[in-house]
Amino acid sequence: MIIVNYVVAVLLLVLGLYAVCTQKNLIKVVLGLGIIDYGINLLIVSVGFNDGGTAPIYTMSDLLNGVASSFFVDPVPQALTLTSIVIGACVDAMALALVIMIYRKYKTINSDEVRRIRG
Amino acid sequence: MFSFLTLDFVKHFPVVAVMGLFLCAFLVEIFGSKNKIIRNTITLIAAFGAFALITALIKPVLIDGNILAYWMGNWEPVEGYAIGIGYEIDALNMFFALLVVTTILLAAIYSIKYMARDHHLGHYYTLFLMLSGSVLGLVLTGDIFNMFVMIEIMTFASVALTAFRNNKNGALEAGFKYLIVGSIGSSMTLAGIALLYAQCHTLNMAQISAALANGLTPTTVLAFALMFAGFGVKSYLVPFHAPAADAYMTAPTSISMVFSGMVNKAGVYGMIRLVYIIFRAMDLPALQLMLATFGTVTMFVGVTMALAQHDFKRLLAFHSISQIGYVITAIGLATVLGLEAGLFHAMNHTLFKGLLFLTAGAVLYATGTTDLDKLGGLAKKMPKTAICFLIGAFSISGLPPFNGFASKWMIYQATYQKAAETGNFAYAFVTIVALVVSVMTLASFIKVTQAVFFGQLPKHLEDTKEVPLSMRVPMWIMSALCILSGVFYGFVEKFLLAPAAKAVLSVTNYIDKMMGEGTAAAAGVVDYAANDVVLTLWNPVLWLVLFAIVLIAVCIVILTGDKTRGRVLAKTETDSEDGKYATFFGGEQSTHSHVAGSDLFWGFKHDFKGYFKFIQGMHSGVVNDYALYAVVGAALITVLMFVFVH
Amino acid sequence: METIVTILTNAWSVLVFPGLLFAVVVGLLLAGIDRKILARMQKRKGPPILQPTYDFFKLMGKETIIPHAANRKAFLIAPVLGFVSLVVLMLFIPVFGYSPFSTNGDLIIVLYLLTIPAVALIVGGSASGSPYAGIGISREMVTMMAYELPLVVVLLTVAKKVGGESLVFSLGEIGDWQAANGLLISHWALIPAAIAMLLVIPAEVGTQPFDVAEAETEICEGTLVEYSGAPLAVFKLNTAIKMFVMTSLFTVLFFGGIDTGYIALNAVILVAICSVLTVVCMTLAHAICARLKIEHLFKFYWTVVTALAAISLILVWLGL
Repeated sequence: MIIVNYVVAVLLLVLGLYAVCTQKNLIKVVLGLGIIDYGINLLIVSVGFNDGGTAPIYTMSDLLNGVASSFFVDPVPQALTLTSIVIGACVDAMALALVIMIYRKYKTINSDEVRRIRG
Repeated sequence: MFSFLTLDFVKHFPVVAVMGLFLCAFLVEIFGSKNKIIRNTITLIAAFGAFALITALIKPVLIDGNILAYWMGNWEPVEGYAIGIGYEIDALNMFFALLVVTTILLAAIYSIKYMARDHHLGHYYTLFLMLSGSVLGLVLTGDIFNMFVMIEIMTFASVALTAFRNNKNGALEAGFKYLIVGSIGSSMTLAGIALLYAQCHTLNMAQISAALANGLTPTTVLAFALMFAGFGVKSYLVPFHAPAADAYMTAPTSISMVFSGMVNKAGVYGMIRLVYIIFRAMDLPALQLMLATFGTVTMFVGVTMALAQHDFKRLLAFHSISQIGYVITAIGLATVLGLEAGLFHAMNHTLFKGLLFLTAGAVLYATGTTDLDKLGGLAKKMPKTAICFLIGAFSISGLPPFNGFASKWMIYQATYQKAAETGNFAYAFVTIVALVVSVMTLASFIKVTQAVFFGQLPKHLEDTKEVPLSMRVPMWIMSALCILSGVFYGFVEKFLLAPAAKAVLSVTNYIDKMMGEGTAAAAGVVDYAANDVVLTLWNPVLWLVLFAIVLIAVCIVILTGDKTRGRVLAKTETDSEDGKYATFFGGEQSTHSHVAGSDLFWGFKHDFKGYFKFIQGMHSGVVNDYALYAVVGAALITVLMFVFVH
Repeated sequence: METIVTILTNAWSVLVFPGLLFAVVVGLLLAGIDRKILARMQKRKGPPILQPTYDFFKLMGKETIIPHAANRKAFLIAPVLGFVSLVVLMLFIPVFGYSPFSTNGDLIIVLYLLTIPAVALIVGGSASGSPYAGIGISREMVTMMAYELPLVVVLLTVAKKVGGESLVFSLGEIGDWQAANGLLISHWALIPAAIAMLLVIPAEVGTQPFDVAEAETEICEGTLVEYSGAPLAVFKLNTAIKMFVMTSLFTVLFFGGIDTGYIALNAVILVAICSVLTVVCMTLAHAICARLKIEHLFKFYWTVVTALAAISLILVWLGL
């Protein structure tokens, strides 16, 4: 099952990059950026996944009695994903704020017209 | 005297410096958004504090050669597995940290007057301190995910600062493009980190390095390529460079200086750490050639784009890109001399490019524009700024005895030595390109000199005034450092470059200090072969004395003798009636006639018009194009890595 | 005692030989020879050989006028800067084995010091505030970019030939190598490079047909248009010394290693070779060719001359 995760992660990544590279609407560009983030988050979660593993939550008595199975899902990637989601949300918010400002100033969000600096 | 600075005590300093900057960022927002004095005080305390804490580490790290390992919350490794976030400070981190804190301090001092006319300065200083803290954290951390978080904070703060003067033409779009391409870069880094974690089950750089000693699998090669591209974006290599130039141009100048002084150095640092330590792959000739090629292309594209610019700051921005090309080329040689040359040039770039950005800021502050076609003759109105500018321009052009000369010389020597040793003609070509790019750099700075500081003063700039003292002090400091590090390059080499280069090459030391003695040997990691560097370039002190003797002698010859000679000179009365002191106009009444920047290099541009049309067309300003270049660049790197490294 | 001796030796090197005095005298002599032979080629009688010397002293005595538009300090310092760098340059170019300041990297120093006189000319012209000078500096700069590429390739070719597998960036070692292995000019693979170098010399010095930056007839001497009196004299002197520096650089690179054992005799041989070279690459070209346009000049150097130098470089890399 895990292979599907990786395939979807790569697909999302490619889709996001495609959106960023081709879409002329700046909001769609930001959406593409979001999709890249989701792809990578999926990738990270999948990295730590163990098929059939338990959640890495134990009480002290579990550990002392040797009940706890050592076969569990790696918690570190999940923590990383959380961080990454937060960062991704911040980036998206920032980008959207910039798009709004750009619209106020340029009266358009077509990327072909938002290019006063070039050459 | 400093006996209280024991190793156990000072090892807390790096973390305190990073935390302090972040803490003060929030303090500024809370207490200083209304009050100017509180705001400035907090900022300066944070900047001075970081500077003091890092410079206190010079003795233990650079001179005594210790490596400081610090585990956050004392989460030390258990059974060879790093669980906590670790900071590891060796001479390489230290070298870059010194650059960073110097830049922070000078930028903070400069900002106070320079930014005083803007509004919402609370936000500015918050973002500035966030940026400083993140870059310092980036260069000090020993944890790869922590590094990613720092990169993201850095990108975030950079974007916000780029768009800070959002009423300025283009600031918003520059910020947006920077954000998009920067995020693609950080996403690639994150993907690389995820793949590395999948293979090594750790996030600690030292442990990863030990785990990768058994050779690279396809997954790790992909991770390598992605992270390489990610740090390429952060150090603005071609083809990832385009949004950086926009950002440098539109950001407030104090921030442009921070960008060129430390943000792209953070990328360079990441690159060195990645290729030398984490993957320990610089023994591969293909990888060396790849880095040198990227560097060479970067320096050439950067300088040719700079020749075509009409804006002071944008021109400097492209020169930043070009100079980073030199650094990356030298680092890619994987020789001791190459590493030292690259690090030296990185340091010099921080100094002279920071200086040049500050003079650009001074011009902007005094005249309100950086358009090369609207300026002229400012040397009369702002002589001190003009001198600082000339020092910076001569340094970046590599004229002796300034610091750019010493580092570029080392780069030429390193590249040609590499060419001679490997018999690879490509490196000889690199040397030729590096030398020619240097001449082009000189040419484009002469263009700025003519267009901004010399020539005729336009009417509307008649009442321009010199900038205030607190803006000049950072410029003087940087000018002095430019000259000192050029003349006394031997001391710089001995105390900064040699330890840093040694730290880069001794991978085992890095791993052992962090993960416990013997880890590297158990994993089978070996150090790079280190050959000795013979640096008998010249005796700069003697040379400087000679220069002074001859200069004085000639000045005496010229200025003494006939009283009238050398004295008559410019009359103070402005009677343009007296044709003797008017500029020659073929016998006609002289009028304002200034040869502006864009009129220079006519013959050169004419002969290369095809190339210029192409390269300027590539910098189209469309965000999709820039994203596409980044993706294509990353894809290219991935392909090359799989073909050559795997 | 030893320090005093060192200081005196250094002072002698800087001020007399091979520094200030030697450079000035030989430079002015070469300029005189150039003018005399040029005149003979054009069937004129020509001025006496000492004419440039007379001109120099005459200009030194004239009033210095600084235009209102000029930046006074830069205007006055520029010629001196160029002069000093040329004198220092002479210290690094060995006179057949005698080189007081030789290091293991003086090839690069020479390359960079050679740009300073051009930069001085540009800064001076720029500081004078004249539009003619503006055009002049633009051309001077393009000329500089034009000849720098072939010059770099020539120097690297020689370095590779002499160094082989190791790195030699030292003019002293280049001379020693030639003393042992025969003059570099006698190695056929280096002949294209020598021709390229001969073509670089007139552009570096700025004589016709490559004097687009001065071009008296169209832009009134360009960079020098506002100069008068002593600064002008120094600039003229710089041009004369540059002739000597460039020709002796050529001599070191391709005729190095002739050592008779007597410094004075070596110096005489050097001056003789330099005079011949001056006549061959500057006077002859001056008499034959008309001035080029700047874009033609640039194209010429980046195609023909660079190609010549590159042929040599490739041949040398192939081990020939």
